[in-house]
Amino acid sequence: MAEQRVNRRQFIKATGAGALATGIGANIIVPGRARAAKKTLKILQWVHFVPPYDEWFNKKLAKEWGEKNDTEVIVDNIGIAGINPRATAEVSAQKGHDLFLFNWPPPSFEEQTVDMKDVYQELEKKVGKPIDLCVKSTYNPKTKKYYAFSPSFTPDPVNYRQDLFGQVGLPNGPKTWDEVRTAGAKIKKQFGNPVGIGLANEIDTAMAMRTIMYAHGAHEQDSAGNLTLNSKETLESIKFVKALFQETMTDEVFTWDASSNNRAMLAGKISVALNAISITRVAEKENPDISKKIQLTKALRGPVRAIGLEHVMQCYVVWKFAENIEGAKKFLIDYTTNFRQAYVAGEFYDFPCWPKTVPDASKLLANDPKAHPADKYKVLDDALNWATNVGYPGYANAAIDEIYGTWVLNVMFAKAASGAATPEDALKEADAQCRRIFAKWKEKGMV
Amino acid sequence: MSDDTVRSEAHAPAPARTRRLAFLIDRPQWLGPVMIAPAVIYIALVVGLPFLLALYYSFTNITAGSRTLEFVGLRNFIGIIDTPKFQTALRNTFVFALGSQVLVIVLATVLALALMKDFRGKWLVRLLILLPWVAPMSLGSIGWLWILDSIYSIINWTLQAAGLITADNWPMYLGKPYLAMMSVIGVHVWRLLPLATVILLAGLTSIPQEIHDAAQVDGASAWRHLFQITLPLVRPIMLVATLFGLVFAFTDMIVIFVLTRGGPYDTTQVLSTLAFFTGIQGGDLAEGAAIAVFLFPMLLAVAIVFLRVARRTEVI
Repeated sequence: MAEQRVNRRQFIKATGAGALATGIGANIIVPGRARAAKKTLKILQWVHFVPPYDEWFNKKLAKEWGEKNDTEVIVDNIGIAGINPRATAEVSAQKGHDLFLFNWPPPSFEEQTVDMKDVYQELEKKVGKPIDLCVKSTYNPKTKKYYAFSPSFTPDPVNYRQDLFGQVGLPNGPKTWDEVRTAGAKIKKQFGNPVGIGLANEIDTAMAMRTIMYAHGAHEQDSAGNLTLNSKETLESIKFVKALFQETMTDEVFTWDASSNNRAMLAGKISVALNAISITRVAEKENPDISKKIQLTKALRGPVRAIGLEHVMQCYVVWKFAENIEGAKKFLIDYTTNFRQAYVAGEFYDFPCWPKTVPDASKLLANDPKAHPADKYKVLDDALNWATNVGYPGYANAAIDEIYGTWVLNVMFAKAASGAATPEDALKEADAQCRRIFAKWKEKGMV
Repeated sequence: MSDDTVRSEAHAPAPARTRRLAFLIDRPQWLGPVMIAPAVIYIALVVGLPFLLALYYSFTNITAGSRTLEFVGLRNFIGIIDTPKFQTALRNTFVFALGSQVLVIVLATVLALALMKDFRGKWLVRLLILLPWVAPMSLGSIGWLWILDSIYSIINWTLQAAGLITADNWPMYLGKPYLAMMSVIGVHVWRLLPLATVILLAGLTSIPQEIHDAAQVDGASAWRHLFQITLPLVRPIMLVATLFGLVFAFTDMIVIFVLTRGGPYDTTQVLSTLAFFTGIQGGDLAEGAAIAVFLFPMLLAVAIVFLRVARRTEVI
């Protein structure tokens, strides 16, 4: 057999050629990549909690809109945890998607986004005014810019176990926060099911704690954007959460992530949770028995008001460096104008920020064949009136965003509830952090 | 094609450019750097550049959504040092890093010494020990998240089935500060143990057998053999393993991010997770960068000291 020795020179030649081929080969072999493409619209959004929505959006809406507008629509779906890192990376690279969906207001990205005022104006002409929550989550009154556009939001109703609450005299569920506390304590004592409101570093806790604060008349800021955390109302809300934890909950709530309350409710462990309708939708598909036991009720009344937060705020931005800005805006206008399709595809998870786009919303909610009973979701009928934004009564701004993203209020409530700090000390520490954060963003001219 | 033809083609006169390339390739003083260049370039691009960028950002006022920045000197560092959140994170970082490293080194030494012996199924044990290192860190951490879950913890189910706990007093591994810290340290040890074991195993196998034989002939006891012969001889490589582990523990955020996100109430918050929450979630990229690079001078000093000590004590 002939000996074929490969010397050092031949080896380097061969590997070098291989590497070169790997690098440029695709461009030579796949001619489509080098060909001039028609217009494209690149959209990045989360993996929706209701899978049929993605199916409809990606395969039907994107395809049909693309054909109608001679555009190739490319939709990339990523997990919700990847949204902010991805946005930061796109801004840093000055390259990415034309339409980028945040699931919360993104005020700190304002400098890099296109003003959406014209989209708002166009839609106002077509379908009337948006709800206040929509504007408060996408507009900066200081710079007078719509840094994002919101077609929809997700309400955050109270999910409760009707069978358990019925046995302690509240068959229609709790109507006030005090009832959650008293009935929750009885249920825990009699049946062993604790209340399931998170006290961890995660978004559901962030929403629930703000809901309790706002219901007690406490706020991070006033309507003009001045810090107002340090108040007797906030202290009262902390004391309430401490009592609620001690009387109705367990240490479990300190361990939770955003899906833990879903799992706990579906496993039949807890008596009440604040969440979107993802709990009930999963129950309908996977566990009809528990589905019949879990019912919904509106925002609970506190000492000052009955108020709830948005659970998810869909905020689209168009980057200044986007390649198809006009296409992105047109897509948003068309998508929002025909929002009823999205509302149905998402199984009522996403509520319209432009109410006239779903004129028969009440009718749909009152008769859902999948629900147990069919009018289970009727209580969400007036969610547009009691759902509010993070940062209420002011606008969602960069300081509010950082307070939210670094879990300042979550930690404040959890420390006081666990006894790691007194309510007064927990508030003092959180207030100092908020002062620093507000001062920082004010200096940057964003608040 | 005959063998002669192949050789004659290989030795045919080459064009001038090829000859110049051949001149470089044939010289070991050039070939060495050329061969190692891809690795160096990779490290410079993937590790060096981002690090320098983070260092640069930490002296500016950049935000996640901004491209304009101004030099602000040490303001970000001065601003964070006094905050309770940062001080808690700093303290937790040391507890997490030092706690996990002590455990890793002790357990890795025991494992490496055990794996030096011959026994049936040794290959299987080696494979099992290596598995945590082979699995992606995030997947492993998610696995542990389920193992420690408040509802579905297999540990608690087993303990309850064995009658050791009841349904209403399940330990909340991630819900009590001390249990949560022990849990994240435990998972980090699980993750780093294979690397430290393999490094120490390499060190142990490099000790010449004659030294062990001489100790045996001189009648050294097992403990004396271990503490006066084996461990001093593997000390240089043990220092390298410790250095690797410390750097990992001081800078990694995956375990804590997946398991606790710094909770309960910041009792497992470390600098790396705080940097992420501040810089990426909170949007203050400059302050996040300042938190992230805060320990760099200390880690650099530790690395230099460890490597110097390792070199001085190198006897093999």
